[in-house]
Amino acid sequence: MLAVFKRELKAYFASPTGYIFMGFFLLICGIFFAFSNLLTASPDYISVLSSITFVFLIVVPVLTMRLMSEESRQKTDQLLLTSPLSVTGIVLGKYFAAVAVFLLTLLITCLYPVILSFFGTIAVWEIVGGYIGFFLLGAAFISIGLFISSLTDNQVIAAVVTFSALLFIWILDWVIQGLPTDRISGIVFACALVVGVAALVYFTTRNIFVSVAIAVIGFGIIAGVYFANEYFFDGFIVRTLEWFSLLKRYENFMMGILSLSPIVYYITFSAVFLFLTVRVIEKRRWS
Amino acid sequence: MIQVIDVTKRYGQHVAVDHINFTVEKGEILGFLGPNGAGKTTTMNIITGYISATEGTVKVDGFDILEEPEEVKKRIGYMPEFPPLYMDMTVQEYLDFVSDIKKIDRATKKRSMEKIMDLVKIGDVRKRLIKNLSKGYKQRVGLAQALIGTPPVLILDEPTVGLDPKQIIEIRSLIKELGKEHTIILSSHILPEVSAVCGRVIIINKGKIVASDTPENLSKRLSSSGRLSLRVAGPEKQVLKLVRELEGVKNAEVQGVKEPGTVDILVEAERDIDIRRPLFYALSRAEYPILYMRSVDLTLEEIFLQVTTEEREVS
Repeated sequence: MLAVFKRELKAYFASPTGYIFMGFFLLICGIFFAFSNLLTASPDYISVLSSITFVFLIVVPVLTMRLMSEESRQKTDQLLLTSPLSVTGIVLGKYFAAVAVFLLTLLITCLYPVILSFFGTIAVWEIVGGYIGFFLLGAAFISIGLFISSLTDNQVIAAVVTFSALLFIWILDWVIQGLPTDRISGIVFACALVVGVAALVYFTTRNIFVSVAIAVIGFGIIAGVYFANEYFFDGFIVRTLEWFSLLKRYENFMMGILSLSPIVYYITFSAVFLFLTVRVIEKRRWS
Repeated sequence: MIQVIDVTKRYGQHVAVDHINFTVEKGEILGFLGPNGAGKTTTMNIITGYISATEGTVKVDGFDILEEPEEVKKRIGYMPEFPPLYMDMTVQEYLDFVSDIKKIDRATKKRSMEKIMDLVKIGDVRKRLIKNLSKGYKQRVGLAQALIGTPPVLILDEPTVGLDPKQIIEIRSLIKELGKEHTIILSSHILPEVSAVCGRVIIINKGKIVASDTPENLSKRLSSSGRLSLRVAGPEKQVLKLVRELEGVKNAEVQGVKEPGTVDILVEAERDIDIRRPLFYALSRAEYPILYMRSVDLTLEEIFLQVTTEEREVS
């Protein structure tokens, strides 16, 4: 894992990728810092952190598009997969390399609050909390990018799909507001979810009995929940999708609230996508 | 050393490798021969654990690829058809990286790396980016990568493809040299290469093994009748007539005239009949001296065509 990590980290700075990422990130961060702190003489640094999140949409694809796709294009995955390394080790090495570049960039931006502290008092712990949230959010986005990169051997496709996925997460909160909250649509949505899971199982295992069994059990659970607590399906769509909203949890950090649950949430989120990446690579070897 | 047990690989409906069985003994150099798309690379990818077999398994040194993949992978050095090189690294950096992922300890690393670079002659390009190397050098770096950690088993997929004749000869003699210490499986569709280097040949076509033997035996086994090539000083028609009338001669045909006043003919005898003496006396009695006579074995090319076409007729 360490070998892959070191190689990837070097590769970022042997090509323009690392510099483009850092340069663009620091540029945007600097502009916002200048406008919202320096020119207005405001010590409110946390607002910079909360307004530059959009930069992830552009820089995360740059950071992750190459990670897995280039390996399969250059056939270097043959080297990695026939070496005594585990697939998990390879994926983690790559993930931590991307996260390390991101962390390095964040550390440079730490200069800004230090500059501010010369001219007044700043809310140190609030900013530290903000940074933790910002870092976790970015790390979660990177795991999505890594996963998408493992699906294709074309960097450009990986970048575009990653951008679209992040954009979707971005507008998710806004989309949620327009979704129906009544009971019927909640039940329909739950049924669609069950069918979707069963179909996914069928397409990966080609086992009709297991997928039918999963569908039957799923419908059983829905019926059971309905009879036990019929109010459960009121607003079910909204609640489900909100669970996927990365940005909603980020708001807590920006308000200076540092609680354990969003931290655990972000780490779990990344872990799930890393796990999926490992599965994709493993599966390709079996098909 | 290597046991391939009933390995099958299916891609949907297409069967790439169909119930292949073979073993490779320690210290053997095995040639894997077949036309493009025969399943050579697929089989090699399965042995190295890059892809998994649909059925069957592979054992290396007693370790099963499915149960203990790491133990198997530690013992194999693999050079795929396209060397898996990182274009943005220098040769030295790349080999360092490969040693790291193969978990070679630092003490032996440096010494063995020097040895390998000497062996494949890439010491003079160690500081250069792999991107800028010529095809021949890239191929050698690919080979160096497989040699790192001196694994007991080497698997080389078309190691001489894209090299110039001088480099091909170099790589071949290098493989022979390596065969003293390693068990090697080598694939190729170039037949002289396999007969020059390998102790045993497996011919594979459409995912099935169609023949397996030493290059010499294969050629003997398949030469269904003794064939002789001779050059005779004399007029073409009379010589041919004389030879054809001889007892035990199945067929004789003119191959052309290479020297003025002589004729080259190819004589095919009935199975198990030695016609060399009668041939000599008959021609000398007619005062047509034989300038040379030698028996013709099937070349690997001919064997190859024969087995693969036989296979086609059966199916």
